Amino acid sequence: MAKLLDKQRYKCALGAMQSVQAITRALPILHSGPGCAQKLSESIGSSGYFSPNIFPCTSINEKDVVFGGVKKLNSTIENALKVVDADLYVVLTGCIPEIVGDDSGEVVSRFEDADKPVIYAPTAGFKGNNYKGHEQVVDAIVDQYLKKSETKQKGLVNIWADVPYQDLFWLGNLRELEKLVSELGLTPNTIFGYKRGIENINKIPEAEFNLLVSPWVGLNNMKKMERKLGIPYLHYKTLPIGATETSKFLREVGKFAGVEEEKVEAVIKEHEDYYYYLIERYADLFLENRVINKQFTVVSDAQYALGITKFLANDLGLVPAKQFVVDDTPKNRREEITEEFKKLNFGLEAEVSFETDGFKIHEEIKNHDYHGYPLILGGYYEKEVTEQLKGNFLNVSYPVQDKVVLNSSYVGYAGGIRLIEDIYTVAVQRFN
Amino acid sequence: MAYKIAVGSSDGKNVDLKFGEVETFLIYEVTDQINLIEKRDVPANDQKTQNEKLNTENNCENNNCKSSGCSGNGGGCGGAEGVLAIVSLIEDCRCVVCKKVGFQAQKQFEKKAISVFDVEVSIEEALAKITYYYDKIDNHKTLRS
Repeated sequence: MAKLLDKQRYKCALGAMQSVQAITRALPILHSGPGCAQKLSESIGSSGYFSPNIFPCTSINEKDVVFGGVKKLNSTIENALKVVDADLYVVLTGCIPEIVGDDSGEVVSRFEDADKPVIYAPTAGFKGNNYKGHEQVVDAIVDQYLKKSETKQKGLVNIWADVPYQDLFWLGNLRELEKLVSELGLTPNTIFGYKRGIENINKIPEAEFNLLVSPWVGLNNMKKMERKLGIPYLHYKTLPIGATETSKFLREVGKFAGVEEEKVEAVIKEHEDYYYYLIERYADLFLENRVINKQFTVVSDAQYALGITKFLANDLGLVPAKQFVVDDTPKNRREEITEEFKKLNFGLEAEVSFETDGFKIHEEIKNHDYHGYPLILGGYYEKEVTEQLKGNFLNVSYPVQDKVVLNSSYVGYAGGIRLIEDIYTVAVQRFN
Repeated sequence: MAYKIAVGSSDGKNVDLKFGEVETFLIYEVTDQINLIEKRDVPANDQKTQNEKLNTENNCENNNCKSSGCSGNGGGCGGAEGVLAIVSLIEDCRCVVCKKVGFQAQKQFEKKAISVFDVEVSIEEALAKITYYYDKIDNHKTLRS
């Protein structure tokens, strides 16, 4: 039976146009109906050199459904190459052309000899959500653009994290991960954001290894690059937030990259000293507020659900209630992610539910005994239910509607401090 | 369910006429099979009006400059009335197939929920593809190939 998706927390695979947009000077060319880009582009922070309003689109209609839309696709690509100055053109297909069987791959292959690279990612909505679409885009780059490199650049590491724009903190998070990795004496390489782009894409094959910081998004890309480009990968499942996880992260990356242990420990010590200095200064505040929030729930995609749960349990000593992962995680990845939620300090374990139905999530939250006011971190949808329960609410994941994020981040030592600031800013407002 | 398709063709084989050039629409009826059931003439004065609208110079020579159209003597944008008569002529059809269909005509067809296919193919191919499409959507079958 058809099911209604209550409180939608992701978009269709064509939403991957935002992943393309996040690559500086890369242009999505949409083979879709008119309006797809408009609907998918509501996220803030998406204006700029190319914005969704100018993405070339075939705007296919009934005629193209009946007679095929390849002619229009051909002319749209041809003209985009003429009038839009980009470094990389990524053709993305929507549902309609994929259903009626347009051979978009064949059309794109006609542009093999074009001055600029044109690649193609099938991102029909029925193939999955924009987390999958993001993987398709990276796959397309690996499959159709990159070639195996004979030479490797010493210490070069490609860093991959969660989905740009879907994760509002994507830019800050990536930069912070880069910073941490470079402190170990390694050279980070990422393809998304300011001053990244085609040159960074070109460097991918020369890396010594890929570092994936995500519970599951991108794992298929890592496997593909290992096969095709011969790049091994380190899969670090938890987004490192706060001292406990970030130190663990640095140790693991250091070990994988063969960085001297003393060097890693020196980096960690410097960060931790400052981190705990900051926390110590506010210890009285934290102690007082533990009376308010004994238990917490995170409702978000896998990366924040896991990252924040570990942070709040390990660093702040809060007790996890049930956690909800809402990104429609592939079934074959759920078990290992569930295991990760059990690896908390102090012998704690968090129960996790992979649930996309907002109604059910809210019912469970309402029916749970939080032993006081709950602390809920989630999408904007959780604001109302938290208010009903007189709890404290922080909007950390899609949809984010009550804050503007330009480049701040929840990653690393600094990110942990930032998250503490945000949570306790909400908490202290109770008293005022 | 039976429905009709209007086709603009000069030779009965290819879709080779623009909407405004059609003097006689070929009307096909689709049931279990596809039959040419009628040749429907576009009334001469409608035809004339339409042709005049297509041709600005001609329009002006006939001192017909300000007869209609959104911009007075534009002619290029002939306004709604010009095409309306022809659109009404085939309003019992489910769709119309011509080499080209202008913006005004498309709009008028849209209002009457008649689909427009402006394609340059053989009539056989056009009818095969269109009937395949309607068969699928009428019976709620996927178009996925």
